[in-house]
Amino acid sequence: MLSIKNLHASVEEKNILKGLELEIKPGEVHAIMGPNGAGKSTLGYVLTGRDGYSVEQGSAELDGVDLLELEAEERARAGLFLAFQYPVEIPGVSNLEFLKASVDAVREARGEEALSSKDFLKMAREASKQVNLPADFLKRGVNEGFSGGEKKRNEILQMLLLKPKLCILDESDSGLDIDALQVVAEGVNSQRSPDRSFIVVTHYQRLLDYIKPDFVHVLADGKIVKSGDYSLAHELESQGYAWLKDQPADEAATNDVAEG
Amino acid sequence: MSNWLNGAVARAESVSDWLAPKRQASLALLREAQWPTRKTEAWKYIPINVWDRTELQSDAVEVNAVAESIEGLNSIDLVFVNGELTSDLNDELPAGLSIVSLADASADAQSWAAETFASVKPSRHLFGLVNDVLATQGVLIDVAAEAVIEQPIRIVNVLTQDSEAHTRVLVRLGQNAKASVVEQFCGNQRSKNTGFAEYKVGESARLEHYRFALQTGESLSIGGSHFELATRAELNSTLVGFGSTLQRVDVDVTHAGEHAFAKLNAIYLLDGKELFDLHSTIEHAVPHGTTEENVRGIVADNSRAVFNGRIHIHRDAQKTLAELNNRNLLMSDRAEIDTKPELEIYADDVRCAHGATIAEIDKTALYYLQSRGVSRSQAQIMLNFGFINELVDEMPNDVLAEWLRPQLRDRFAAMEVK
Repeated sequence: MLSIKNLHASVEEKNILKGLELEIKPGEVHAIMGPNGAGKSTLGYVLTGRDGYSVEQGSAELDGVDLLELEAEERARAGLFLAFQYPVEIPGVSNLEFLKASVDAVREARGEEALSSKDFLKMAREASKQVNLPADFLKRGVNEGFSGGEKKRNEILQMLLLKPKLCILDESDSGLDIDALQVVAEGVNSQRSPDRSFIVVTHYQRLLDYIKPDFVHVLADGKIVKSGDYSLAHELESQGYAWLKDQPADEAATNDVAEG
Repeated sequence: MSNWLNGAVARAESVSDWLAPKRQASLALLREAQWPTRKTEAWKYIPINVWDRTELQSDAVEVNAVAESIEGLNSIDLVFVNGELTSDLNDELPAGLSIVSLADASADAQSWAAETFASVKPSRHLFGLVNDVLATQGVLIDVAAEAVIEQPIRIVNVLTQDSEAHTRVLVRLGQNAKASVVEQFCGNQRSKNTGFAEYKVGESARLEHYRFALQTGESLSIGGSHFELATRAELNSTLVGFGSTLQRVDVDVTHAGEHAFAKLNAIYLLDGKELFDLHSTIEHAVPHGTTEENVRGIVADNSRAVFNGRIHIHRDAQKTLAELNNRNLLMSDRAEIDTKPELEIYADDVRCAHGATIAEIDKTALYYLQSRGVSRSQAQIMLNFGFINELVDEMPNDVLAEWLRPQLRDRFAAMEVK
C-alpha cells in the first residue's frame, strides 16, 4: 500500500525527516509515537504535499504511484487522507459545500458517477450522525466556531465520506474528552477493512486502546528508531522516551529494518 | 478645465423646471469648481481624465434595451434606459407608497422633493453637482408615516452603447415607515452616467437599501447614495460593485437624530484593468449614534480598488459607537488597493475602531481544501467566494442574495492568481 524509502525532508531549510523508512500493507494499522519535534506531523504534511515542505531524498509510493510527483489534490484523489491535528477554519464556505466539492472531485478521479445533491445530503447526514455532530454543522462555515472535539469529529466525517485507501490521523486524540475519543476511535474502526490502511500518530496509548494497531513505531529525530507490536505502546507509556538518548540512533535504525 | 464640464454647464443653462432654484445654486458652485487632477485628494488614485477623453457617438445610441426582472423578488420596478424612464407609473401601489416621475411631479411631491433635493447629498461631490444641474429624469418615492411596504422598490439604470444619462432618486420615509430600495446599474458598453440618490429616513423608520453597481467593461459611472437618519432611524445598506473603465460610488450617512443605527456592508470584485473607487463619509452629528461599516474587496489581475472611509464624530456626538473595517484580498502582484480608513473624533466619550488589511489568499486554507481533492483553482474560487459570502449572507433579502451569488461565482471563475 504505502512504501516510504530513505525519506529526507526539510522545512525552512531545517532538516526534519532524516532517512525515514516505512512499509504498510493493505489493511494494516500502524501507530507512530515519539517525542515532540521528532517529525511526526511533518511526515503527514510531506506525504500530502503541503507547500513549504521540500523533499531532498528518498521516495514515497502509494500502490506504486509516486506521491511526491503529484499536486496535493492529486494525492487526495489517489486515496491519501490526512486528518489534521489543527483543522482549518474557513468562514463563508459552508461545510456542506466543501464536503460536496471534495467528494465530487474524489469520485470523479475514481471514475464514479457524481452524486445528486439529494443523495449527497443523505450520505452527509448519515455520516454526521455516525460521528455525533448535529446536522446543522453541515450548514455552518467549515470548522467555523467548532470546538476542538467538533473539529476532530469533522475530520473523521470527511474520512467517512471520502473513503480513502490510506488515512493518516495526526494526533486526532489531542484535546479530546473520553466520549469524543471513542467517537473518533469508532469512526476509524468502522472503516477498517482489508484494503484500507491507517497511520495513527499519537502521543498517548489511550487512543491505541480503542484502535488496536498492528504495529507501533517510535519516530525520533526524523527516523523510525524502534518498531514493535501493540505492547510497545504500553512500554512507551510507562517508560517515556528518555531511553532514546542512551541508544545510538544508527543501531536503532538497524533494528527497525530488521523488524520491518 | 474640462471640455466635458464646460459643455455640461452650457447644457445646464437651458434646463428649466420646478427644481430651477436648486439647480441654479448648484450651477453657481459648478462654475467655480475645479476639474480634479491627480493632486485632488478625492480623485488621487483614479484618473478622472478618462471621463473627459472618452467621446460618445451620439447618433449611435441604442434604445431598445430591457431590464430583466429578478425572479421571486416581486419588486416594484422602475426602469431607466439611458436615463429615460420607461416604466409605467400608473400601476396601483401599496397603501402609503407614492412614486412619481421627477419630470412629471405633482405639486405635493414637488414640495417635499424640492426641499430634499441637494440637502442630503453634500455639495463637495463634483459629479453630484453635475447631476444636480443635468438630471431631469428620476423618481420621487414617498413612504407615508407608519406605512410598511413589503415589496422592494427596484430602480434599474440600463446604459447602452454611447449613451449619456443623469438620473436622480429622492426618497422620503415618514415616521415608523419601513421600505426596501434597490438601486441597480447595468451595462458594459462605452457610456457615461451619473446616478445619485438621496434618502431622508424619518424618526424610527427603517430602510433596507441595496446599490448594485454592476456596470462593467467600458462604461464610465459616477454616483452616490446619501442618507440622513432621524432619531432612532435604522439603515441597512449593501453595496456591490464590479469595476469598469471608471466606477466611483460615494456613500454618505448623516446621523441627524440620536440613537440612529447604520449598518453598511460593501463588496467590490475587480478583474482585468477595472477600476472601482468607493468613498464613504459618516457624520455623527449627534450623540448615541451607531455605525457598523464592513467593506471587503477582491482585486485581481491589473485592476485597482480605492477605498476611502471616513467617520467624523462631532464634538457633541457623545456615546457614539462606530466601527469601520476594510479587508482586501489581492490576487495578483500587479493589482493595487489604496485603502484609507479615517476616524476623526472630537467627542471624548465614544467607542470606535477602524482597520484595514490587505492579504493574499490564505495558503493554509488552500492546502486544506486541496488535501481533500479539490483542485487549486476551484479551491481559490471557494475561498474568494467565502470571503465575500459572509457579507452576502448578511443581506436581509434572501431572494436578492440568491440572485447575486451566481453572478459573483461567474466573476470569481474568471479570476485567477498570477
